[in-house]
Amino acid sequence: MNTYRIFALTLIAAATLAGCSSLPASNPSLEQARSDYRAAQDNAQTRNLAGGELKLAGDALTKADKAWSDGDKTAEVDHLAYLAKQRVAIAQETAKQKAAELAVGNADIARDKIRLAARTNEADAAKQSAEMAQRQAEESQRQAEAAKQQADASQRQTAAAQQQAEATRQLASDAQARNIALEAQLKDLNATKTDRGMVVTIGDVLFDTNKAELKSGGMRSVEKLSAFLKQYPQRKALIEGFTDSVGSEGSNQGLSSRRADSVRTAIVDMGVGADRLATHGYGEAYPVAGNENAAGRQLNRRVEIILSDDNGIVAPR
Amino acid sequence: MKTQCSTKPLHTAQRIALPALLTAMLLLISACASTPPPTEQVAVSTSAVASATSAGGSDVAPVEMQMARQKLDRAKVAMTAKDYPLARSLSEEAQVDAQLAEAKAHSTQASKAAYELRESVRVLREELDRQTK
Repeated sequence: MNTYRIFALTLIAAATLAGCSSLPASNPSLEQARSDYRAAQDNAQTRNLAGGELKLAGDALTKADKAWSDGDKTAEVDHLAYLAKQRVAIAQETAKQKAAELAVGNADIARDKIRLAARTNEADAAKQSAEMAQRQAEESQRQAEAAKQQADASQRQTAAAQQQAEATRQLASDAQARNIALEAQLKDLNATKTDRGMVVTIGDVLFDTNKAELKSGGMRSVEKLSAFLKQYPQRKALIEGFTDSVGSEGSNQGLSSRRADSVRTAIVDMGVGADRLATHGYGEAYPVAGNENAAGRQLNRRVEIILSDDNGIVAPR
Repeated sequence: MKTQCSTKPLHTAQRIALPALLTAMLLLISACASTPPPTEQVAVSTSAVASATSAGGSDVAPVEMQMARQKLDRAKVAMTAKDYPLARSLSEEAQVDAQLAEAKAHSTQASKAAYELRESVRVLREELDRQTK
């Protein structure tokens, strides 16, 4: 009896307890809180940076879970699940904050590094610009030096040019002087200007008739010629002999040659190199006047000395 | 409250079983109904809301701040009405809402600082690159 009563009372008590709670299949708020918590746990950042907050969230979730499995009121389970969910969110925000603070620390370090690099750069740049200024100064100095040298050189060149001009003028005046002297001498020799050059004619009167020996008058002409040739050693002379048409051609040829040779010998005797003198007898050829009268014939009997130009060349007849 | 609810009734001796059980049932029911006033919890929540406000929670997390304030207000009303379980759970929720608002404020401020610093580093680096070139 007694035991039966106890059993019945126990049943009543159990029913009273059960009346406080109803057991739903699942609680959406709790499901949400669990899922949030799992996501937060899967996030390494939240796990590492907000461990304490995540632990609180876990405790809250455990409490909510227990309330649900104990069959507490839905409102109570919802309330506890809400607390757990908010705690998860707090843990996540805290992790975000910590991560940002770490980033600030890293950025600070990066900024210090960059500032240091900037300062180093500035120092380098200053050094470089100093070096560049130095180089520029040196370059300017070199340029000035070069300019000075150039100026000196051009001064020297000017001086040299002046000297050259002076020399040229001197030469010109020398040449002029020489020409004047030459002309005077040639005039003295009674030289005639022809296409072949200056020609000095030694007339028949300076030779004995039918003789090749020069008379004293002819000798004077020869002396003048010798002096001239000695003074102008680059010049040569061609000595040509001519006769009139009187007498045989053979004898005239011989006479003209002998007379030319005679003049040559006389000039050589006076110290003019024999190699500078050539002779040729033309006999009665190349008359300069008619052979009809005595005056003409006299003109034809002659020795012509053709003076070469400065190069020693005598134009051939 | 559950610990209070689930003690005593089973190992009672047979002779005193009935009156004891009845007394226990009465105790149990009255314990479930009357909770002590959660004065401490309300104070903690009030302080959490104040802290979140001064941390700038209203600007960064206006929704959470609003919820925290409303729940705290309702908790105080429930306190006056002596509905202590409601006052407790409302003020508990107000506390976590306020804490979340404050955490959001802090994380936003830190993110902003990090962004600004990164930006200044970027500008510096650009300047440096320009110098180098």
